[in-house]
Amino acid sequence: MSRRARLLQAKDEPYETRTIISMYMLGIFIRFWLIYSKYQSIIGHHVEISTPLNSWKRVSEGLYVQSKGINPYEGDLIHEAPVILLLYRILTQTFYLPAEFLFLLVDSLTAVVLYFVAKKYMFHLFVFQEKQKGEYAQDSKEFILSGADFLNSPVFVMAAFLFNPYTIFNCVGLSTTVFHNFFLAIFLLFMLQGNPILAPIALAFSAVMSLYAGVLISPLFLYLYVIYKDKVRAYIALGVFTLTLVALTCFSYVLGSGSAFLKNVYGFILTVPDLQPNIGLFWYFFTEMFDHFRELFICSFQINATVLYLIPLSVKFRNDPFLLTTAVLFLVAIFKSYPCLGDIGFVMSLFPCFMHLFMYAQQGFLVGVIFLITSALGPILWHLWIYSNSANANFYFGVTLAFAIAEIFLVTDILFAYMKREFCLKYGSERKIDGKEAILMLE
Amino acid sequence: MFHSTLTTFLLVVPLAVLTYAFDTFSEELLLKPLGNDHLYAHFQFATKWDTDPEQESFRHTHMFPRALGEIVARYNVQELHVSLTAGLWMYETWGYPIMDAAPGAELWVWFKEDTENVDKNWKELASSLSGLLCASLNFIDKTNSINPEYTFKPRGAVSSPTINSTFVRYSSLPREIVCTENLTPLKKLLPCEAKQGLGSLLNAGHIYNTRYHSMAIHMRPICRDSSCESVSLELQQSVSLVYDLLILEAKHWSFRKLFGQGVIGRCVLAETATIYVDTTNNESVPFQLKPDPDEYVTSFRGGYVHTYAKYDVQSYVMSLNANYLGKNKVVLNSPPAIYANQYITGYGQERGGIVTTIYNNHWSPLDVVFLQNIPWYVPIYLHTLKIDAGGVRIEPTRIHYIPGRQRERPYHLEVLVKLPARSITSLSIDFDYVFLKWQEYPPDANHGFYIGSAVVSTILPLARNYTGLPQDGSTISDSFNASRSGYLVQMRTESTVITLPTPDFSMPYNVICLACTVVALAFGPLHNITTKRLILIVKDNEHFIVKLKNKVVGIWTRRTSE
Amino acid sequence: MKQLTIILCFSVIFLSSLHQNRAQLEFELPKNGHTNNWAVLVDTSRFWFNYRHVANVLSIYRSVKRLGIPDSQIILMIADDMACNPRNPRPATVFNNANQHINVYGDDVEVDYRGYEVTVENFVRLLTGRLPPGTPRSKQLITDEGSNVLIYLTGHGGDGFLKFQDSEEITSQEMADALEQMWQKQRYHELFFMIDTCQAASMYERFYSPNILAVGSSLVGEDSLSHHVDPAIGVYIIDRYTYHALDFLESIDEHTNKTMGEFLSVCPKRVCISTVGVRRDLFRRNPFEVPITDFFGSVRPVEVITQVAPQPEVLNKTRYQVTSTPKKHRYVPPLVNFNSLV
Repeated sequence: MSRRARLLQAKDEPYETRTIISMYMLGIFIRFWLIYSKYQSIIGHHVEISTPLNSWKRVSEGLYVQSKGINPYEGDLIHEAPVILLLYRILTQTFYLPAEFLFLLVDSLTAVVLYFVAKKYMFHLFVFQEKQKGEYAQDSKEFILSGADFLNSPVFVMAAFLFNPYTIFNCVGLSTTVFHNFFLAIFLLFMLQGNPILAPIALAFSAVMSLYAGVLISPLFLYLYVIYKDKVRAYIALGVFTLTLVALTCFSYVLGSGSAFLKNVYGFILTVPDLQPNIGLFWYFFTEMFDHFRELFICSFQINATVLYLIPLSVKFRNDPFLLTTAVLFLVAIFKSYPCLGDIGFVMSLFPCFMHLFMYAQQGFLVGVIFLITSALGPILWHLWIYSNSANANFYFGVTLAFAIAEIFLVTDILFAYMKREFCLKYGSERKIDGKEAILMLE
Repeated sequence: MFHSTLTTFLLVVPLAVLTYAFDTFSEELLLKPLGNDHLYAHFQFATKWDTDPEQESFRHTHMFPRALGEIVARYNVQELHVSLTAGLWMYETWGYPIMDAAPGAELWVWFKEDTENVDKNWKELASSLSGLLCASLNFIDKTNSINPEYTFKPRGAVSSPTINSTFVRYSSLPREIVCTENLTPLKKLLPCEAKQGLGSLLNAGHIYNTRYHSMAIHMRPICRDSSCESVSLELQQSVSLVYDLLILEAKHWSFRKLFGQGVIGRCVLAETATIYVDTTNNESVPFQLKPDPDEYVTSFRGGYVHTYAKYDVQSYVMSLNANYLGKNKVVLNSPPAIYANQYITGYGQERGGIVTTIYNNHWSPLDVVFLQNIPWYVPIYLHTLKIDAGGVRIEPTRIHYIPGRQRERPYHLEVLVKLPARSITSLSIDFDYVFLKWQEYPPDANHGFYIGSAVVSTILPLARNYTGLPQDGSTISDSFNASRSGYLVQMRTESTVITLPTPDFSMPYNVICLACTVVALAFGPLHNITTKRLILIVKDNEHFIVKLKNKVVGIWTRRTSE
Repeated sequence: MKQLTIILCFSVIFLSSLHQNRAQLEFELPKNGHTNNWAVLVDTSRFWFNYRHVANVLSIYRSVKRLGIPDSQIILMIADDMACNPRNPRPATVFNNANQHINVYGDDVEVDYRGYEVTVENFVRLLTGRLPPGTPRSKQLITDEGSNVLIYLTGHGGDGFLKFQDSEEITSQEMADALEQMWQKQRYHELFFMIDTCQAASMYERFYSPNILAVGSSLVGEDSLSHHVDPAIGVYIIDRYTYHALDFLESIDEHTNKTMGEFLSVCPKRVCISTVGVRRDLFRRNPFEVPITDFFGSVRPVEVITQVAPQPEVLNKTRYQVTSTPKKHRYVPPLVNFNSLV
């Protein structure tokens, strides 16, 4: 019996609404409990969760300084765009929402949106499969997705978001990545619905927050162009995205009273002046970098994080832009200058959409083990280094390296799996040439 | 041409010569027992030069040190205050010094209002002073300087109606050491150097054995007369020493013990040369001075009476002895009206806080200006600023805050707060530890990074424990009977050290290689995925060695079959 | 009265010189082209346990100062403060000997570069004269083609490098290139390079500029050793080579007839334990004919010139005005009045 058959046996029935809702409540409850517990500040202070870019402490500082009549972009503690700062100000000061409640609310909304994202994607997958069925090989029936797969994946996506410790900590630690993820989730939903107005607007908000999200314009374009086969909508989306970006920037210009915010927000993301450790690759690399090579390596690392893989992947996976979106999001989350667990958690919660690929993946065990070990070792070695002075930066750096390797393995594994599945659907699972044993090779 | 030169010359030269005719120099030494076990010695050398600082070119000076004059003229300086200090003045037990100074080097300067590029002048001025005083003042630049809004007003006479704080700069280098090489140039700036007069008491071998030593140069324009229509240039050079009588191993002290020798004659250039010994406490802790003083001076100031034994410095070698009579009495020390402490809170190298505790022992509320220049590597969060007095939160009257920027500008915090009567107020603010680039760490990275002392300024209504000079005075004798409406104190708190987390300095190559390897780990597979396609090829089951063997056998059999 | 005399003096000098104030100054330079002396003395070691390196450099400082080079022509770089170090039981002193024979720190030392200022960059900038604007005169090496320069380095070295403060190093090639740049910019006439460090000879092996005489405390592959421990401070007090060099220099005064050749043979192997290395192929003269004061003293040949007068132009430029317009000045209150703020 194949793994897949076993999986099917295990859960063939779709989940009841009651189960889903209770699961949802449980997810929110965990967050609620943690966010009002004494662990909140411990979690919120961890460098894996809050980076200079997304820590709520810095946002509070920005809001406070602003309320004192000082331009927050004069200093360099605040790295949120003025529009976003305005949003926080309205939410916390005009509506008097406590920050904890705000984060709970937004995070639980994200979970709902993701549920619908997955549902929509599964629908697309179903349509696509029906369309392609004629081209599939005879013995590939086993690989074709059934009704339960389509119905359960959204539940798994929501569960993965609600119960992933990375996203829980992200919300509890009050990292503004929660808002970023919310905009991203909205973007995904509208992208899958083929909405050429709201999708780019949501994307523009994410891009204003983190800059890197802007690369997702490529999958959006492909989605409208290839899946919806609508050139006009695709170009409208491009135009709306550009317009929204320009509008938001101009608005920021007015709000931030001048261009100081550009240096503070985007200059900060691009040139990496703050070398506080995080789970990414930049901090130690640029701590130890020789000054005369700094620019060169900053440029190459930023290109690596943004466009280097975008174009080839867009070409290769143009037929499944959602997979492309996930892959690009994941690569950005690995290689961006100030990544946090919230970014990783968000992408990982999208993975149940690709459950049909898991059986082709080979490194699940390895990746899982590394994730477990590094997640445990990271805070321990941090404590040893910073508080007990019995370890040093190299230890923590080693952990972040291993973590990055696990992420890389995961994303490449999924992409390989996709290719293998495509191959199997086309040529069947029989791997024989002229009756001889054969193996799959990349050529 | 020659004629015109000649006429100008003849016109000009007499004036040039005459301008230095009106300068006076005075030197004073104040000795004051501090409590039971310390002795305060303050040397005050004051030069007053009746010249217009606006017009003066400093090409020709008489008593005023030309080396300093050139610098002042070149960088358009209106007021200059520089001090080099080691040790901490213990306000709580010692009262107030004549001149406050922060541990390490401290420099604050007012530039003239026609200065074009204040930052450039400031940097180069500090650099020039570093040459003049043999201190590392050249490390002062924009990244560690602020322009205080409220704390450092011009001390001297000003003519403009408004005070524009863009022309003042303040910086301190708490790490700066002070040793003989700083004293040597200071002595060279004195008209009689160290050859005669009170300067001859400044022997490096003896004055660095003290609990606290501070040398300072203050230059400012002062009113020439009471109408204040013209100004004179005043230069105060001072050396303050606090001897620990335990280190001297005797309660009795003498010039020989304190300075290694007596005063070698009188500086002939000095108009007055006086030694004062504070004998106010002589009733509770009696000591006998030898030789007998020329006279006793009584000073009524701000509600308090002080008596001083006065000696005129004679033209022969002069020494002074004090012998304590009777048994030791414990002097009950009454702490001054206000004093402050500063310390760091938190543990680990992630987050911490700076706390300043200000003690107000006065019976009425006091207005206090608190100034802190926090280096850029200690980013503070203004929203965490808490001021409370005995558990009651106090709202500051005003906050002047200029956020810092990494590698560009320090955090400048000035808080104006009214301290309740008889209260202990604490100001606390949180900061983060930052991670620097490896080349930004100093050679002794694990020694720690300094946060300079805070400046707590207030106007005291009474002159208890107060010895400072009045604003219109330049000598110690000017402070006698100088009752004013208020007495300025600018206390410096402790400077503190934090240990920033350090990277491994031996790792650059390894880190670069490892991080690039991880990037390559992603690049390789993604390159394969995007540029190659999957194909089936016949599986080669044979092991490598078997393959090799077959090949060899094949070749061999072919050969034998031939 | 005094002023009047001075006016008279000036006027007389000025009038007598009017007819010849454009006259060229013609100094007759000494035959060998040597007109002035400079010394660059560098200690590159930080931390208390390197006390001996500070004692080394101060020994040479003391000697050159005693033999006549003025403080303004000595650039002293000391990477750490030993004299006023809290661990020093005798503040403001650095001794060359546990018996406190000579306080090499003296009573009027002037340290030009100290602490963190002692870096390779500052050292090379000092030698080559490429200093930032605003650098004070005491931190500049204002030498010319007539300057004899003494460079003394001490610290921790290895084969081909010398460490600065445990955080960076200067290589022998960089050192040689800096000296070549000095030569090309005519910043020295003759140069005496003296170094007391392990494998000292490796530092001067790469030199290729003319007129350099070099001496190192040890050959490549040898360590330089310290002289003795002072139990009062708990560390080694001075290095062997410099100790004996100081011994030699203490025995002479500025009128000495001793030669560089004699100085180079100071500290034979039986006392130094390391072999003192000398490089004289770049030096055109025979060291035994070079007086030691050519480098350690400041023999300034005095020529009596009759045709030169003070240049009056300088005085002409001064602008003095009889009266400045009276302006109302005032003292501002030193602290803001809180009542005025609310």
